[in-house]
Amino acid sequence: MKRKVLFILLSIALSNSLVSAQGGGDPSKLFGNTKMMITGNAEASLVADTGYVNFTDVSFKPIFLWHLSDRLFIEAETEIASGGEGVELVLEYANMCYFINDFLTIHAGRFLPKFGAYRGRMGESFINKFAEDPVGFGDGGIGPMIESGIGLQGGAPLGNSKINYDFWVSNGPNLIDGTEDPENAGQFEYEAYADNNKNKAIGGRVGLLPFSNSSLEVGVSFENASKSGAAYSDLENTGVMMWAADLEYYKAISPIKSTVRLIGEYKSQKVDNAYYPVPDDTTFYTFDNNSSAAYGSVSIRPTASKNKLLRNFELCYRYSEFDRPKEAPWGGDKVLTQSAVALDYWLRWNCLVKLTWNKNSDSDNLYVAQFVYGF
Amino acid sequence: MKKLKIIFVLIFGIAALAGFNSCAPSGMIAEKGGAQLWGENCSRCHNPPSMDQYSAEQWTIITDHMRIRANITAAEMNKIKAFLQGQVAM
Repeated sequence: MKRKVLFILLSIALSNSLVSAQGGGDPSKLFGNTKMMITGNAEASLVADTGYVNFTDVSFKPIFLWHLSDRLFIEAETEIASGGEGVELVLEYANMCYFINDFLTIHAGRFLPKFGAYRGRMGESFINKFAEDPVGFGDGGIGPMIESGIGLQGGAPLGNSKINYDFWVSNGPNLIDGTEDPENAGQFEYEAYADNNKNKAIGGRVGLLPFSNSSLEVGVSFENASKSGAAYSDLENTGVMMWAADLEYYKAISPIKSTVRLIGEYKSQKVDNAYYPVPDDTTFYTFDNNSSAAYGSVSIRPTASKNKLLRNFELCYRYSEFDRPKEAPWGGDKVLTQSAVALDYWLRWNCLVKLTWNKNSDSDNLYVAQFVYGF
Repeated sequence: MKKLKIIFVLIFGIAALAGFNSCAPSGMIAEKGGAQLWGENCSRCHNPPSMDQYSAEQWTIITDHMRIRANITAAEMNKIKAFLQGQVAM
């Protein structure tokens, strides 16, 4: 693993030196008539609760962008992160795109499906105002963040409004059957690199921007897989249906010299009834495997203030909840809730420091300081 | 088979939408310049980066990336790119 990480770092350094040279030299000598750059971000957090204070996982996420022609484009992101077992190297996505026309793009590979707007977009660390995910929207939550497959997407004007659309066919979620991981029976591995059966999932999102200034976007998403269990297993035919609704709105309000932003999302997942093995026994059990999650946030930043220090601050509040299956080993009777307050300071358009306080219904209050640098 | 039907309906539906010539902006929208579109569209998700953040070559790449990530329409993206590359006055 260390060799792989070293190799990646050397490759990035080499590529970056080439890109730097590209800025001052003749591009045709480096990349022919193609164009390449590296962007991305790095983040680090300091987390504290009643029991510990910890500099937690640090991640570095270079994004490789390559413009091959006016129609061909590749985007790929890797993540190098410190974790509990050392340094991890992950391919987040590698998405090959072909711009068919002004309204339609086809893409294939490992991509960020637009199931809802949080994962892969509003949840990106330099966009998200908070250091932590809302409950039900991070690991162990509902819905895919990364998928392997093929898709069509685009955007088009509709008079004073705009519409955008994404539809994809992907491997879909892999059902955890509980034989090796009984605590997570009935949950899904959404981001598996390989499918566990021959069935493919279908998903999509349609977004509408009704106002002429694009300040409001509402979207509806779905993903359906009629089979999510391992091939030839008793659970192979377990289907899952997910849907989500999202809303993003911002407005500059002159009297208070500030920009106010409202963001919210609701998503729901319904899984067919299935029988999972009781640990250390020969019997099986089942439960209603339906869950939902929602969050809403509001933030205010004095963007029009004459005071430079003041206008770089942003104050944010978010409420989220996660309703899990009551009888699942990972579920419970109580709805998980979280209230979060964040005070951010913007160092640059994509660099910020976040100070977040989380009040969680099932765990200690959490205090997080996070540094995010986009590049 | 049912899923295949859904796939074909989706594909042909999107293709029909893409070829639908009446998907046109109003006059007010069509008259918007790159600077205004840059502010409006970037602000949907994040702070708008200034022109000098990237070179003209790099803006070509970034705008491709944003066309994918944010589904910005091609006509608007071309205006935003021209503005960021300094090809048009603010």
